[in-house]
Amino acid sequence: MRWLSYVHIALWSGLFAIFVWISSPIVGPAVMENRIGPADTNRSIDAYLGALTGIERGSEKLPDAFRHLGKSGRLVIFTRDENAQSEFLGMMISYVSWPRDVQLIKVKGPTVEKELADIQPGSVVGVVFCSINPPTWLSNRVRLGSSIVLVPVTQDAP
Amino acid sequence: MIVIGLIGALFTIFIAGFGVTMSIFARARRVNVIECACLAWLLGCGIVSLLLWICGSFCSGFILQILVALTCIALGICGWRMKRSANAVFAFSKPTSAVEWILGTIVALEIAVLLFVAFKHTLGWDGLLNWEIKARYAFFNGGTIPSSYYSSAGRAFSHPEYPLAIPLTELWLYLWMGEPNQFWVKIIFPLFYAACAPLLAIFVSRFGGKCWIGLATAALLPFVPSVSASPGGIVVGYVDVPLSAFYLAALGYLLLWFKTDQREFVIAFAACSALLPWVKSEGRILWAVIVFVGFALSISKRRIPQFIFSIVPGFVLLVVWRIFLKLVHAWPPSDFSHLSFGLLLNNAGRLREIATTLLAELSEPTHWSIFWLLVAVAVIYFLGSRKLGGIAVVGAVIVPIVLYSLTYLFSTWPSYSAHMTSSMPRLLLHVMPAGWLAIGLALAQPRSETPSRTDVSSA
Repeated sequence: MRWLSYVHIALWSGLFAIFVWISSPIVGPAVMENRIGPADTNRSIDAYLGALTGIERGSEKLPDAFRHLGKSGRLVIFTRDENAQSEFLGMMISYVSWPRDVQLIKVKGPTVEKELADIQPGSVVGVVFCSINPPTWLSNRVRLGSSIVLVPVTQDAP
Repeated sequence: MIVIGLIGALFTIFIAGFGVTMSIFARARRVNVIECACLAWLLGCGIVSLLLWICGSFCSGFILQILVALTCIALGICGWRMKRSANAVFAFSKPTSAVEWILGTIVALEIAVLLFVAFKHTLGWDGLLNWEIKARYAFFNGGTIPSSYYSSAGRAFSHPEYPLAIPLTELWLYLWMGEPNQFWVKIIFPLFYAACAPLLAIFVSRFGGKCWIGLATAALLPFVPSVSASPGGIVVGYVDVPLSAFYLAALGYLLLWFKTDQREFVIAFAACSALLPWVKSEGRILWAVIVFVGFALSISKRRIPQFIFSIVPGFVLLVVWRIFLKLVHAWPPSDFSHLSFGLLLNNAGRLREIATTLLAELSEPTHWSIFWLLVAVAVIYFLGSRKLGGIAVVGAVIVPIVLYSLTYLFSTWPSYSAHMTSSMPRLLLHVMPAGWLAIGLALAQPRSETPSRTDVSSA
């Protein structure tokens, strides 16, 4: 049964050659892309926030901005439903705002009027809009980055 | 200081894992150095994460760090003493031919390249928001994940119910570095690859009897594009490659125990399989599959009591983790409905699209090249040989894929096919090294014979 050994070797040699032939143009560039570093503490958070909002060192600036809202109180974050970028940004805001309590609300339509009306203002200290335009009547806006707006909620807010 | 802390964290992980590995293999007399290092990493991560979880329930901060570090060192000393009392010696099986030297060098270079490449990328979506987030919150809370995190509706997206092996390993690095450094923490992921590839080479060499076949299989492993070039690969900090390393180790040691009846192999199987549900939720499915495969093998060899004893640690860990999640009122997972026969019947119409999506994914060259075709050829070899060990490998590769696919019958996503498309490539990674084991064994099959006890220990 020597011929079976030859078939065995030929079969696997051929399959491995095809495997490497197809893989190499995919794996090679993936290995070569990007450069190493920087070795910053919050490298991943800062890279994402920088790309999504243009904020440099967002891991420090965003928590600073939320700190002005007071020690306690809930942050409401509006994101656009089925918009991966907006949802990811909302999650990032939630991530960096720990230990503050947060509420993520996905909005289907282009406006947030109804959802804003549903919010109980008592415990809410701020509303963040991720890739969503806040209603025009909402004053006291703080633009934190290209696609992120913070609206602090004051005691006498409606 | 950060790098010194990082070295200290890695050293303690290795010491703990080394101690446990030594205590497992001391009776074998000859301990393969590379195998010991690979298992030391896998088991070390499991031990450190479990220690942080358990000890974190009654202490925190510097005391927690010292307590875990001292336990790691104690485990290392115990393992070393057991090795000495058993008169075991370290063995390093040097390559014996030019081909083996070349292949061994390629495997080492690939590990070095992936170690380098991992530092070129940021943590991916899941790597950051499902895994690292837990480590960071725990770091700022003195080393324990705050109980309010588990029940926080606003952080439900980060899956608080996911197990903690990787987040707490990341936490261990953070505690030693003194800061939650998202650059250096990525070192743990290529280290899982560095444990997986040599273990694959060792298993294939032992079963096939030819070292070069094992090395060739390990050298081909990173050419699967999903390892480095797709979402879920080791360069973005996902836990799928680490889980696959544990699964390979559990399967490999189960098969070695089946072949040789050496006690150390069933203990190694017990340790590696127990950690499967501790790495990722899908590890429960892998654990169930490997238990089923092991049960079938142990029946054929009439070793059921030993086998049942070996699955106790995994079962206990599963139950304790479920109880813990109940106690902390963890936010329930929302991606899947509760299993019910009614829902199964109701969603049976999804089966066709699930099968179509699965086939499309398996044949996606940018994710897999022709890897699954290689696995299919290996499966044909095993089915042709009708050997129980071979059938067990086939089952360990195919059954998880089938079960993973069937879970989408219970998907709560508005589009279950979108759910499947986004997660299936990562889930398939779990059985990828096991698939390479099947390929390596098929490659060696014409000459394969049951290795003797000495062959298996020294290979």
